[in-house]
Amino acid sequence: MNNFREVAAGGKSLKRDYVAVMMWFMGRAIQAAAAVDEAVNKEFAGMPDGFTFALSVMPNGPHMIVGKDQRGFARYRGWDPEGKKIDLDMKIKNIEAAMLIFTFQESTALATARERLIVDGEVAHACAIVRILDIVEVYLLPKIIAKLAVKRYPGWPFRRKYIGRALIYVRTIFGL
Amino acid sequence: MRLQMYFPERYEFFCPVKINSGNRALEQIPFELDALNARKPLAIAGKDAGETGLIDVILGAFRDSGIAVGVFDGVPVAPDLKLIRELFNIYRDRGYDAIIAVGSGDVADTAKVLNIAVSGKPEDIEGCAGEDLIRNPLKPLIIVPTLSGTGYEMSRYASFDGRDYASHFLMPNLAVIDLRMTVPEDAVTTAAASLAALTHAVEAYTGSGKNPAVDAYAYASIQLIMEHVAHVIGDQHDGGGRLSLANAHAMAGCAFSNVAPGTAHKLGQVIGDLCHLPPGLCMGMLLPHVLKREMSEGGYHISDLLLPLGGFDAYASTAADLRARKAIDILYDLLRDMSAASGGAIFHLWKDAQVSEATLQKIAQKAVGAGASSDIEGCMKILRDAREGR
Amino acid sequence: MDMPGYYEFCCRVKIISGHDALERIPETLAQLYAGRPMIVTDKGVVGAGLIDIVVNAISSGVNIAVIADDVPPDSDLRIVNSLARLYREKGCDSLIAIGGGSVMDTAKGINIIVSEKADDLMRFSGANALKRPLRPLIAIPTTAGTGSEVTLVAVIKDHEKHLKMAFVSNFLLPDASIVDSRMTLTLPPAITAATGMDALSHAVEAYTCLAKNPLSDAHALAAIRLISDNLLKVTVNPGDKKGRLGMASAATLAGIAFGNSMVGMVHSLGHSVGSVCGLPHGACMAILLPYGLEYNVHKNGHLTAELLLPMAGALVYAATPKEERAAKVIAFIRRMNQELYEVTGGRHARFFKEALGRDGKEMVPKEKLPQIAETALRDGSIFYNPEDLDYDDFLMVLNAAWEGKPLDTCLIRKG
Repeated sequence: MNNFREVAAGGKSLKRDYVAVMMWFMGRAIQAAAAVDEAVNKEFAGMPDGFTFALSVMPNGPHMIVGKDQRGFARYRGWDPEGKKIDLDMKIKNIEAAMLIFTFQESTALATARERLIVDGEVAHACAIVRILDIVEVYLLPKIIAKLAVKRYPGWPFRRKYIGRALIYVRTIFGL
Repeated sequence: MRLQMYFPERYEFFCPVKINSGNRALEQIPFELDALNARKPLAIAGKDAGETGLIDVILGAFRDSGIAVGVFDGVPVAPDLKLIRELFNIYRDRGYDAIIAVGSGDVADTAKVLNIAVSGKPEDIEGCAGEDLIRNPLKPLIIVPTLSGTGYEMSRYASFDGRDYASHFLMPNLAVIDLRMTVPEDAVTTAAASLAALTHAVEAYTGSGKNPAVDAYAYASIQLIMEHVAHVIGDQHDGGGRLSLANAHAMAGCAFSNVAPGTAHKLGQVIGDLCHLPPGLCMGMLLPHVLKREMSEGGYHISDLLLPLGGFDAYASTAADLRARKAIDILYDLLRDMSAASGGAIFHLWKDAQVSEATLQKIAQKAVGAGASSDIEGCMKILRDAREGR
Repeated sequence: MDMPGYYEFCCRVKIISGHDALERIPETLAQLYAGRPMIVTDKGVVGAGLIDIVVNAISSGVNIAVIADDVPPDSDLRIVNSLARLYREKGCDSLIAIGGGSVMDTAKGINIIVSEKADDLMRFSGANALKRPLRPLIAIPTTAGTGSEVTLVAVIKDHEKHLKMAFVSNFLLPDASIVDSRMTLTLPPAITAATGMDALSHAVEAYTCLAKNPLSDAHALAAIRLISDNLLKVTVNPGDKKGRLGMASAATLAGIAFGNSMVGMVHSLGHSVGSVCGLPHGACMAILLPYGLEYNVHKNGHLTAELLLPMAGALVYAATPKEERAAKVIAFIRRMNQELYEVTGGRHARFFKEALGRDGKEMVPKEKLPQIAETALRDGSIFYNPEDLDYDDFLMVLNAAWEGKPLDTCLIRKG
């Protein structure tokens, strides 16, 4: 019997913290982009009122929750799914897969192709969310990293790229 | 006039094994357990798994999953039913509901036989020895192979304590192939494992049980081995190569489960036992000779073998009636390259096994007795050619 | 061979193939401890005489409890629920699905309800919602084909709530898929052509899109080879039993390939044309396939090039310089469409403009293309396509596919 032991699952607190921070940025940036960027605004306009989606890591988070409020604006609704009706949950299967995504070793498309996440909800909405995430990543990240995160790095006019980026950064950090 | 693809007018194929392979594959196990409706796995491993750090890697993959893992890392070489009894008690008393076999060979066989016990009771085991005597699906079984595995662990076969078991219910639900588990082995071990897998895949691809579904697994396996084996033998740090080989072994095991074992397999098995050589090595050394013999008897499918062995360009640019010969030549070349990469170790081992004429006779008889498709005379010719290195 | 950084592959379906594969159903069911199946099918299959063939082949070995033939062309929740009730009333213990995609999906839906003893199918929608094996299900495809006999997905529409429910689980896979030449012998030429090109599109997209892996590749190559060998033959000569078996095998292999590697833009657009204009799926695939390859060529042209060997054979492959092979594959597929157009007397459309309904009217009017492009944006296959597509890209491809003109590769915005 001395060859046997039972090992409880430990934690990966550093990785959880990193992913949680990245998700916080992402959520607020989505909120900012919906106000600043026409394309993101249009995607949200196409969603039903009160629509809420989440990006989650299985089994126990972290989470990022974004919803569309009554006036049609996108709102970052925090990291706690408790008590919220989530219409679309894009679940990353484990914390390591989340790390691969948030350190841009695997783009959203590649992560999907590699079975790293499952979509709980309507696929049509998931397509819109991925387009929004792509745009937000182009805003937030330097080109050299954003090119890893998206399939096709867009050629935006100066105004959208630099002024839009500045506005989104300000709004993200100050939560406007 | 293009050559039509061969397919038999009647065939069956079954492979219930899911394969997950690649970067961070181990970390997907908790999700897969949930998909199999299991929450409490028991991981079993060999005595050296603790020392080599493999157990720690597995446990690391479960962090943040909320799942507690039972670990038994005392599976010895040549385990027996007493061990099964001990493991059964642990499984039952602590309420486990899945088995994870960490490693190949004895560990995988132990896991399969244990699975018979925990899915019913230990007394069931004896009645299940033989061909297709298991009646119902077993409990969840995940196998995490190492590079020394020949793919046998994915197959419907298990050999345990002197008895053989064969049933598709023994095949694991999931094979997890992760680079961290394919630790470098010595040249001969890798060569033996890959040659066993190659033999199985080639004989599935060219034998009488050939069909498009078996071919898919065999084709992928052969291609991957051809691309990587010589390099991995020469440079065990080639991680990408090791991952590809581990994949190839698993795929060969799946193909092997759907056909009857071929002549090279049977002869190699017998020689391995009699001369105390790794059976896989023997199978591989015999393979080109077996194919040569089959070609002379009209082996129809050997020319198609050039496709995975040589690649698209080689196949397309070789005239149809020359493809079989070219395929066999590529196999001879492969053996030479592998031996060169091992610093000659592979060929030395083979040549040093001084096999007398009388032993050859015995080998041929045993192989034919076990159902080899060639007759005794055919086997003798193959063995002599192989011995002479022709 | 490309080894992806990570992949998953699974096909737990037992494949039973032959000119007499049906006769092996009773023993297959017996091994699963079942013997009182409900047959699920549609009126088209009945009308073609296929149910009689199946019944004759198996009735001595099993006790067919009931034959339900009211599955509509599009899976419908109401039918799933009513057939599940029928299953219970008749004391069935297994299901035999005989038909195309909608029949397979319906049978999978019924299986969820009767196995989980549930009243609300919605509870099991999404991925991984099923936790244990379902009742035995034998799939007998009657086209070659959709490949849905080997996929772990089922899509059921709730027409009342205007919802499309998707179910994804390994437990949805049939226990066995019966590939029997008798089931496709009577397929009319136009449908043979369309379903054959559907199978080809599955194999080609599985081989050239982002989730490809060595095993799905091997299945795809075999499927492409078999289709290239047999599709034209069986369209010209429907009674060619060996050819029919080859096509049926090919469709199953292609199903295994795409079931594991998914598909790309050809399906995003094809699904959309189908849902907006009602053009049958296979016909959409045939027209769009060369365009998908053209659009993506800067990203996966080297993969497209490899397909020349299974498609055109060794001589053509060897004689074609490497850099010309991808273009040759695309041309080969267009030629296949042309040949099928000729042997079906024009019924197999080569481009959308000439796709006509039974009433002789255009099925895909040019005015609908913007709506189709909009719809394509919401299709999940787009994740797996090597290159990005927005509304303008989709519209560009649709316009070209409508006219039947090749894509102008200069207009493609490359990522």
